[in-house]
Amino acid sequence: MLDNIPILSLLLVFPLIGAFATLMLGRNPKAARYIALAFSAITLALTVLMLFNFQLSSAMQFEEKYTWISQLGISYHLGVDGISISMVFLSSLLVFLAILFSWDVEERTKEYMGLMLMLEVGVLGVFMSLDYFLFYIFWEVVLIPMYFLIAIWGGPNRAYASIKFFIYTHVASLIMLLGIFALVFTASGPLGGLNFDMLDIMTVSGSITGLLSTAIFFALFFGFIVKMPMVPFHTWLPDAHVQAPTAGSVLLAGLLLKMGSYGIIRICVETFPGVTAEYQVLIAAIGVLSIVYGAFACLAQTDLKKMVAYSSISHMGIVLLGISTLTELGLAAAVFQMFAHGLITAVLFMTCGMFQHKAGTREIPLLGGLAPKLPILSTVMMIGFMASLGLPGLVGFLAEFSVFTATYDAFGTWVMIPIISVAITAAYYLWAMQRSIFGNLTTKIDTEHLHDSYWFETVPLAVLIGFIALFGIYPKLIMDLIVPSISALSLFGVI
Amino acid sequence: MIDYSALYPEIILIVFAALLPAVHLIARSSRALAGVSLVGIGATIGLELYFILNNMLPLADIGGPSTGLLRLDIFAALFALVFLSVAFFVVLTSARYVEKDRHQAEYYALIMLGTAGMMITASALDLITLFVGLELASISTFALVAFRKKDKRGAEAATKYLIIGGLSSALSLYGISLIYGITGTTNLEGINAALAALPSGLDAGTLLAIGLLIAGFGFKVAIVPFHMWAPDVYEGAPTPISGLLAAGSKKMGMVLLFKVFLVALIALKADWQVLVGVLAILTMTVGNVVALQQTNMKRMLAYSSIAQAGYMIIAIAVATQYAVTGSIFHIATHAFMKGGAFMIVAAMTYVALGENVSDYKGLAKRAPFIAFSLTILLFALAGIPPLSGFFSKLVLFSSAVDAAQIASQNWMIWLAVAGVLNSALSLYYYVRVIRYMYVEKGPTEEKIKLPLSMTVAIAICVGATILIGLWPDPVINICSEAAKALLPGLT
Repeated sequence: MLDNIPILSLLLVFPLIGAFATLMLGRNPKAARYIALAFSAITLALTVLMLFNFQLSSAMQFEEKYTWISQLGISYHLGVDGISISMVFLSSLLVFLAILFSWDVEERTKEYMGLMLMLEVGVLGVFMSLDYFLFYIFWEVVLIPMYFLIAIWGGPNRAYASIKFFIYTHVASLIMLLGIFALVFTASGPLGGLNFDMLDIMTVSGSITGLLSTAIFFALFFGFIVKMPMVPFHTWLPDAHVQAPTAGSVLLAGLLLKMGSYGIIRICVETFPGVTAEYQVLIAAIGVLSIVYGAFACLAQTDLKKMVAYSSISHMGIVLLGISTLTELGLAAAVFQMFAHGLITAVLFMTCGMFQHKAGTREIPLLGGLAPKLPILSTVMMIGFMASLGLPGLVGFLAEFSVFTATYDAFGTWVMIPIISVAITAAYYLWAMQRSIFGNLTTKIDTEHLHDSYWFETVPLAVLIGFIALFGIYPKLIMDLIVPSISALSLFGVI
Repeated sequence: MIDYSALYPEIILIVFAALLPAVHLIARSSRALAGVSLVGIGATIGLELYFILNNMLPLADIGGPSTGLLRLDIFAALFALVFLSVAFFVVLTSARYVEKDRHQAEYYALIMLGTAGMMITASALDLITLFVGLELASISTFALVAFRKKDKRGAEAATKYLIIGGLSSALSLYGISLIYGITGTTNLEGINAALAALPSGLDAGTLLAIGLLIAGFGFKVAIVPFHMWAPDVYEGAPTPISGLLAAGSKKMGMVLLFKVFLVALIALKADWQVLVGVLAILTMTVGNVVALQQTNMKRMLAYSSIAQAGYMIIAIAVATQYAVTGSIFHIATHAFMKGGAFMIVAAMTYVALGENVSDYKGLAKRAPFIAFSLTILLFALAGIPPLSGFFSKLVLFSSAVDAAQIASQNWMIWLAVAGVLNSALSLYYYVRVIRYMYVEKGPTEEKIKLPLSMTVAIAICVGATILIGLWPDPVINICSEAAKALLPGLT
């Protein structure tokens, strides 16, 4: 049915047109909202259409390839397999919901909506590119709208946070770019000329050995773990999150962090399975460090949003731990955790944003006993926290459980360290909940005029919670997409 | 009968330059003069394009086969196009910028003569021709910098520029004379052959000559430590002329370095390669670090130009055809990026907005097109994809990675590392301007209206920056042809 339609290009074109249409036609906030929502809805619809036409196999599908810069062997090459399509779905979904959630943004609405759509172009591009060059371009394109989202609509310290985010991740990308150069030039020998194609390079990457392969691997790996972000390269994240507007945080945590872990699976692991296996323990250690450090840092936070930001570091650590097991289960669970974290963290950041909006503060000590006043918001927050701490039956549990099972297979009883941190996770969530929505009603803020969730807040949250429950109970829907592509990874041929 | 067709482009320019004072007698308006200049420049661009598109290059050398003085090959034509495009938008912006000044005919005539000088250096085959072109360009720009002689800053800048320029000419001339003494020829190819035939390589005389040439031409390109003059001069000169210096005259300096080091002195490559590499890293780092603290737009752009020159010199240190392709490509893209940025500063001065970065606060509300254009140009300068500056840096830096894979040249990887780290550093001061324009609130929200000619000049630069970014293939092809024409001997 989709044989002759360049569906992946359409997925990039619609948000792009949408961005320009919003900027040009969004004369008043209302028009801007509807235009942006319409275009993100079209993109989401196309994604769903693509999902229904996706064959459950490991093959790259809906591929498009055109020569772009012949001199340098660069092509416009797009394609999706099970790993990327789940991320593409997550992206279209989250952007659509984030736009809906931002319905009450009155300040420079058209720019806000336009930037969200531009961000969608970049993120989708990263997940669909099969050419290193194209990949890098989309990777960098993502930075610009996010920079503006933080810098214009952010909190009081936005100037510092936005530029820190921009430069920190830009430096990491540049080091990744050096790695890409080295990889492409080394591969140009066996490939008989410059060629930036990921799949072609993958076929010859086995011939790169020794120090060179390690150096290239770590240049790329560095670019990715800064984006994820892993301790000790995480310091940009709390700043960026705390200052970013709510929808910005949702996309930052929900999608941008996934770009890092996606890159590790798609590029580092696929291209250098040997090096990955050699440094397995180091990668696992970075993951565990992030899990534990993130969890402890959460305990110390008084700002709800900052706590959620640190919890992202912890949960992305689980992704890296899953990858480091180098088992089918571990990698599949890592991708599933990426998906799960995208859904859950979106709920968490939305609730944080709503607290800020309604109560005027996110400081836990100032809140308290708000559940009767804000029943919907409090319920949603509870479900979100439960999902995030790994309550069985919700999507987070399954992902974490599988990662820990795989970790036990790969590293034995060392799994105790990350598992203990799960207890800490439960502790900080429950504690935060107890202090903010239960107990006696706070007197430190004005609680007379609290307005519970508006429709445009309730709908995205309800959709997200629906998916969290659905995939928690019936994970097969997503796992069926992921597993064939994971099983086909070249990695398992090597180790 | 000598075939002078290789000089036709320069001849057209010079004829038009000579015509301008006469026009001034009839039509005493800046716009008429600018119009005539634009016709002249446009005609020259047309001729160059005609040569390129009909595959007529290289034209017959002027001065005979072994003692050639001038050759219009694809390298020269490409650089001529860069210089002419710069002249084109500088004149376009000047049409309104200098409308209240005196001596307008001379102003436009000097721009055209300077451009002709730059074009001559690009086609020179001989040190003497090279020097003639250099002097023609230099003397014209000395006068242009001093154009507003009543302006104190302008006068100071002009004096400084004249003295430094004179010193740099003297140094390079001394270097040239030493080279002539050692090799007995001023022909670039001939020098290389003579040096290659020398028995024991380097002696003190040759070393001194190389040092003098680096210093002399280094002043022109503003390589660290010969860069001190550039920010003062760019700041004091009329802003369109600052653009001409940064986007045109500086590129001529690069041509000089290419011709002298990669053609005449390539036999001694091993002796100067590391030195040039160190200078490249030093230049980009100092340029960027100092740019971080600038509050004046013109000074910031001047330091950013110094840094960009550092990137371009990488190609000389690496000395491969691919690297030179990258450098030429970067020179072409930089002409539009930096030229455009200076034109915007000129336009903002014209509408009486200050030159300080903080004067740009809230510009996005007051002049959306200008703010958007400056954002694009600054992002391109920082090397954010998919704009033209990203692609040219990509080719340039990757050439160093490429060359580093040869065992004995492992150190070249540091050129690429320094390049990318510097790009990241530069992002800070570029983004600061963008932040002022979009994030901060300005004192007023009153709309700014710009003259059409300035808008067109800016639109040309921004258009080229975006288009080359999206469709770099043809430009890379022609740059690669140019690198081949310049360096048939290198790989």
